Amino acid sequence: MSELLQGTLDMLILQTLRWGPAHGYSIAQAIRAGSRDVFRVETGSLYPALHRLEKRRLVRAEWRTSANKQRAKYYRLTPAGRRHLTREQSRWRQLVHAVRALMRPRGQEG
Amino acid sequence: MRWLARFRRRRDEEIDEELESHLRMAIQDRIERGEPPDAARRRALAEFGSRTLAKEATRSVWTWTAIEQLAADLQIGVRVLWRAPALSAAAIVLIALVIGGNTTIFSMVHSILAKPAPGVAADRLVTLGWVTDGDEHPDGSYPNYLYVSAATTTLRPMLAFAFNRFILTTGDGSYAIQGVTATASYFETLAIRPIKGRTFTDREERLDASGLVAVISQHLWRERFAESADIIGRTTVVNGHVATIVGVAPPDFRGVLFGEGSDIWMPLVAYAEADGARATLADRAAPRVVTIGRLAPGVSLTAAQAELATIARQLPRAPGDAWRSRTIQLFPYSATAAGDSLVAQRGPWFLAMFSIITGLTLLIVCANVANLMLARAVVRAREMAVRRSFGASHARIARIFIAEGLAIGMAAWAAAALFAFWTTRAIPRLMKPFDGNGSRIAFDFTPDWQVLGYAMLLALAGTALVSAAPAIRACRHDLQPLLKAGEQGVVPGRSSVSTGLVVLQLAFSVLLLTTAGLAYRSLAMLTATDLGFDRDKLLLVTINTRAAARTAPANVALLDAMVERLRTVRGVTAVTYARRPVQAFWWMEPVSAGAGAAPLVVERNEVGPGYLRAMGVAPIAGRDIDAHDAARGAVAAIVNQRLAAALWPGQPAVGRTLQLRAYREPVVVAGVAPDGLYSGYRRQSDPNFVLVSARHAPPPPDEMTIYVRYASSLDEAVPAIGRALRAVDDRAPIVYLRTMDEQLASLTWLVDALAILLGLFAGGSLLIATIGQYAAMAFTMRRRMRDFGVRIALGASTRDIASSVVREGLRVTAAGLAIGAALGLATAAALRSMLFGITPTDARTYAGVFALLAAASLVACYLPAHRAARIDPMQALRDE
Repeated sequence: MSELLQGTLDMLILQTLRWGPAHGYSIAQAIRAGSRDVFRVETGSLYPALHRLEKRRLVRAEWRTSANKQRAKYYRLTPAGRRHLTREQSRWRQLVHAVRALMRPRGQEG
Repeated sequence: MRWLARFRRRRDEEIDEELESHLRMAIQDRIERGEPPDAARRRALAEFGSRTLAKEATRSVWTWTAIEQLAADLQIGVRVLWRAPALSAAAIVLIALVIGGNTTIFSMVHSILAKPAPGVAADRLVTLGWVTDGDEHPDGSYPNYLYVSAATTTLRPMLAFAFNRFILTTGDGSYAIQGVTATASYFETLAIRPIKGRTFTDREERLDASGLVAVISQHLWRERFAESADIIGRTTVVNGHVATIVGVAPPDFRGVLFGEGSDIWMPLVAYAEADGARATLADRAAPRVVTIGRLAPGVSLTAAQAELATIARQLPRAPGDAWRSRTIQLFPYSATAAGDSLVAQRGPWFLAMFSIITGLTLLIVCANVANLMLARAVVRAREMAVRRSFGASHARIARIFIAEGLAIGMAAWAAAALFAFWTTRAIPRLMKPFDGNGSRIAFDFTPDWQVLGYAMLLALAGTALVSAAPAIRACRHDLQPLLKAGEQGVVPGRSSVSTGLVVLQLAFSVLLLTTAGLAYRSLAMLTATDLGFDRDKLLLVTINTRAAARTAPANVALLDAMVERLRTVRGVTAVTYARRPVQAFWWMEPVSAGAGAAPLVVERNEVGPGYLRAMGVAPIAGRDIDAHDAARGAVAAIVNQRLAAALWPGQPAVGRTLQLRAYREPVVVAGVAPDGLYSGYRRQSDPNFVLVSARHAPPPPDEMTIYVRYASSLDEAVPAIGRALRAVDDRAPIVYLRTMDEQLASLTWLVDALAILLGLFAGGSLLIATIGQYAAMAFTMRRRMRDFGVRIALGASTRDIASSVVREGLRVTAAGLAIGAALGLATAAALRSMLFGITPTDARTYAGVFALLAAASLVACYLPAHRAARIDPMQALRDE
């Protein structure tokens, strides 16, 4: 499954960054592993999303040398990004509840 | 724009590097998981997807902001312009010249009309105009000023002042200076703070035991007191009265009016009392003071105007004053608003005139540049078609043209600003810096931010005009055929826009040329007018006798002594004097021409013995004013022929008497002079004069002008005259000294300057229009190369081709001439009042303009025609 709802990818990226700064590749891997291989984030979506978040000041980027001596651009959550993530999470929970309620077979309510 | 490009390039590289590092890590990951390097790389690349797409998508996050888009467009604009440097440079130079020229003129007009005098805080200052029975007078009377300033609540504070010429006597000599007598509120109202000492107080407005006080200019402090530190409290002699210096005005402040050049300020009432003129100042009917006020905080001009109209109606009536209506008009203060100068009177007219010229020249040049751009737009039609077929919207294409126009406009604006800074410094040096009263006019035309804003406005207007035509053309035309045609394909249809622009330019050139021509002819007529006296080798020496003479008879005695002394100077052939010089205002007298007849207005002046002889005029009847007149008893006078004929038709005038308002006794006509313009150039035709013997009607000590006719060179005469005058009395300084030609030019320099400017504009516009027509023709020729090739191949002679091309060009010229002539006639009719001695339909002007333009146009058409006729048909057809 590669199509994601608009905005969901942003949330997933922010969620990943909650554990600390990461570069694009590790974010993609983390999402893929975390979703048990369901979400494969394409580079063509990942990087525009990252840059969009950077432009909106939700993440900050800086060039660093990775553990295996590679130069990479690391992204880090900003306080604004953290607040945004919290909002998005509660929104997402509402959405999931609503969808679950709709999708539950009849007669099983309550 | 370079920093932006660099910034963008860096971001691009960064995105590249980021994607690169992603790919590297993906490959390494796979290798670490045990895949062979080759396969790892292949799979990683496949998983990665299109790198270009990823990069573009990432980059697009950052671009597409409006400013960056504009910058990108501008960059395209600059690049396009850079590709055709000659054409772009031509466009920029053309626009820069026209904007620069216009900015210069605007700057001049602006500094003359709108700028406050240096040092004056003009904010919320208003000048009062006193209107009686519809007649507006810039001056009010002092009692009326007192009444208004006590009654008003909207003008706080108010000031009144009068101009004065003073003689300052210091330890090392006497100097004539310009000064002001003012109310104590003068400095407060204008917000002028002295750099040393103080200004005068309310108490010092009245003359008391402490005597007169004075504030001097920093200029005078430097020139006459060597900036001495103990200047405050020093006494000096002004017009024979001792005054204590209490303050020094700030450096740039020389009075409120344009070119005023005041050096000393003294209390209005106290000075009048010291000078024995208290009664004159108290005359309610005599307008003697300029009045200015500052709007109280929160009060609008309209509110103040309403209040003053009410106050004006309540003004007390002076005894014997017979006015019917009375009001006070408020004007926002400017350095010329209160002036009585020609500049001030003609100011709005000049402004209108120059606005029109400005607009017209800008239109012409922009039409031209638009034509150049249009020409290129046609060449680039294919490029635009390609862009369109790739999905560029109309708006996008229009934006490209606008960006080009903007790039040209901005470059031109910068160049124009430099040009204007340069010319505004150069022009004052070309101008005659004196007015008719000998005041030196200090011009400061340097553009301020308002003027630069105006230039920017012009540049933007120019841009809009320049880019509109090609943009419209690009959007309107169906571009598909262009794609099918070859690179050299024939563009269908003649461009009516282009032809229209050429016609427009020619029409404007005609308009400007005729206006300039009329101004020139009018000026030529003016200066060629026979004044009726000999203006060559005549020197006017104005002296101030106030310190040297106490009474009117002493004044005349002093002048007689000076004349006697000057007669002995080598090279001097005739000497006389007059109360007022030529080309200054003479006194106007209504003279009754018998019962029932309308009174004639006569100009009066008091003159010394031998006046006619010195002026080079021979009397028709009777004699000149002579030295023996006093002994004969009656007041001798000379009238001009027309006046004599009007007063005593068919009878000899000599011996007749004439009652003038100025004297108690009637004057006796001693001689009749031929008609002439004895008081200088005037707008009224056929003036009449009475020249009264100064010995009989001695004028009070003040400025008097000695006329010296000399045979030697000016360089020899001037020092000798100065020495002779000082030898008689060194307390009567020379106020100013100039030849009669210079004196007469004091009126004409403005008209002169106008004519020169108009001429420059017109010449420029002719040149530009000609180039424009040439460019348009040359371009048409290039487009029709194949057409001509075919015709030549079919047997048309070179002459046929050339004449057909020229004929086509001249049709355009004829249209331009016709429209231009119509516009010219309409404009000239509107300017009728400014023309001197010629009618707006002056045939010679129009004939000249037509011939000039037709010749220029012929050249512009012939050159491309000549080239068209020499086309090699094979070459032209092969290009297809």
